[in-house]
Amino acid sequence: MTDANLSVVRKFIRPQTGDSWATIAERELPKLKTDEGVSSLQSWNLHVYMRAPAPEGSPRAGNPILPSDVIFIEPPMAAA
Amino acid sequence: MYDLIIRNGTVVDGSGLPGYQADVAVKGNRIAKIGKIAETADKEVDASGKVVAPGFIDPHTHFDAQLLWDGAAKPALSHGVTTIVPGNCSLSLAPLKADHRMRLVGMFNQIEEMPYKAFREGVVWDWETFSEYITRIRKGLAINVAPLVGHSVIRLWVMNDAATERTATDGEIAQMQDVLRECLNAGAAGLSTSYVDMDETLQPVPSRYADAREVDALAAVLGEYGRMLQIVPEFYDPDLTIARLDQLAELSIKYQIPTTFSPLFVNADNVDAVDRVMKRVDEQFARGARVWPQVQTRPIDISFSFAVPSLLFIRYSNWYRIMRFGTPVEIKAHFADPENRKARAAEVADAKGLWEKLVLRQVKTEANQKYVGQTLAGIAADRGVTPVEAMIDISVEEDLEAHFLAADMGHNDDEKVVSLLKHPRVHIGASDGGAHILSFSTYGDTGYLFAHFVRDLKTMRLEDAVKKITSDTASIWGIPERGLLQSGYIADIAVFDPQTVNRGVEKFVQDVPGDGSRYVRESHGVDTVIVSGGIAWSAKGGYQEARGAVLPGETSRQPELVAAE
Repeated sequence: MTDANLSVVRKFIRPQTGDSWATIAERELPKLKTDEGVSSLQSWNLHVYMRAPAPEGSPRAGNPILPSDVIFIEPPMAAA
Repeated sequence: MYDLIIRNGTVVDGSGLPGYQADVAVKGNRIAKIGKIAETADKEVDASGKVVAPGFIDPHTHFDAQLLWDGAAKPALSHGVTTIVPGNCSLSLAPLKADHRMRLVGMFNQIEEMPYKAFREGVVWDWETFSEYITRIRKGLAINVAPLVGHSVIRLWVMNDAATERTATDGEIAQMQDVLRECLNAGAAGLSTSYVDMDETLQPVPSRYADAREVDALAAVLGEYGRMLQIVPEFYDPDLTIARLDQLAELSIKYQIPTTFSPLFVNADNVDAVDRVMKRVDEQFARGARVWPQVQTRPIDISFSFAVPSLLFIRYSNWYRIMRFGTPVEIKAHFADPENRKARAAEVADAKGLWEKLVLRQVKTEANQKYVGQTLAGIAADRGVTPVEAMIDISVEEDLEAHFLAADMGHNDDEKVVSLLKHPRVHIGASDGGAHILSFSTYGDTGYLFAHFVRDLKTMRLEDAVKKITSDTASIWGIPERGLLQSGYIADIAVFDPQTVNRGVEKFVQDVPGDGSRYVRESHGVDTVIVSGGIAWSAKGGYQEARGAVLPGETSRQPELVAAE
């Protein structure tokens, strides 16, 4: 089986260094306004959005996205 | 003259082929002959009416700490498990700098529920490198160990505090590759990483700060050795699980390595989820990837008291935080306060059905003995309160020493579970042996497999069940000369009665260093367990010889046995 034979699954990206919701929205959802893109990304990625905040003073403070995260760039697919 | 003969048993050799009547002779650490054996031996085991099988291999455990005070990984060995894989989920106890010890102890406490006191009183910290740790656990090792090295630990070793702050530089990644090579050279069976675990401060473990570049570089090193990459994905979400298995598949193909992810549960709330995941697994195998999902045999049971933070409360941050960070006095005072009692009860009201079904399993006061064995629904009705209020009140009355059981929480759809267990691309595992010791027993999954699915439900052939936890596992992990009963193979053998083999009832016992306790299940129906040709445990004699080896590179730690061949 080649890659072309893989069934279609939900699209995702891995964050780039320094990524935030806004930078991902601007890169991956260019047809949307940034705030709309951010809102969409957050709703599709509750596993990141709902993460407990990093402590104050942490380099992660204010940005819940981890370098290892899977970030979906589309909503869940309808059931087959 | 042989050293050991097992006579009159039914040999189920791990290949999946039908069992047959034969004797098995052992010389040194190897199987010398299978068939009718006229000669005698120093030791003989009568296996009449019993099955003689290869020793079982448990590929997902956290015995890293326990091995420091218990080389038999009790009671796993007594269940017929002759090889364990510790170091899963990004956590191992080496390599570990002295400055990082307490930090890692905190992670083991948070993630695997190993008490701080057990480390304080059961561990002499006399190692730093992986090689030194292997040397340390070899003393008295009665079970074979195929240890993974944890990604979080390697990161901590190279990056120190920055391991939980940022991505690694090119130089740091190169250092991590060198450290991984050292570990693999010292006997590590592969690398583990995690995408879900949190440390003792409830922040992500170091491996979660790694970008794709870092994981790729470490997988490249695994490719040099052909060793395993294990991950724990976001198993609660099928889309996330599929995304992770796709990543594993790419690495598997690129570097020609085996990979595995665990756990994969059958979830009653999302019954199609495992089908979606397995469809993707099948597609990736068809591409040439090796992405083995691990499925446990037992249903999910969780026991808990308010004295320790339970997985059951992880959804409820106020509950979890007071249990995680409060002292026993503070926890008791918190729940004894009427306002807190009311607020906490309101927070968990969405899971009313869960609390009603919980069973009170143990108390210390005479006054509450009458409730032991009853559900919270029944106790609540007797007291005129809600089930959650009854749970809080009894916990306070018992100074937090009331123990509750949430039975059959999931992974209990027998038809679905057995379809997974029988699937040719499913790896039976995910026992978590040695972990979560205050939440449930992680021992006896093999007994449950034979008792429930083979004997009681008759939904799995005995030979297939044996194959799944012996030769399949050895092949998946690249463990040579084990997993089959075959002349010339290492003599790791389990002798058990197929009519009675089972896991025992769950018991709360005090046998952890520092007066600690844990949930265990003793073995039923297992007669004799042989490791590297020596009787390591028997029902009559208990724990005996200690001939455990470190795999996959070491055939036996006893040179004289190798020389005797």
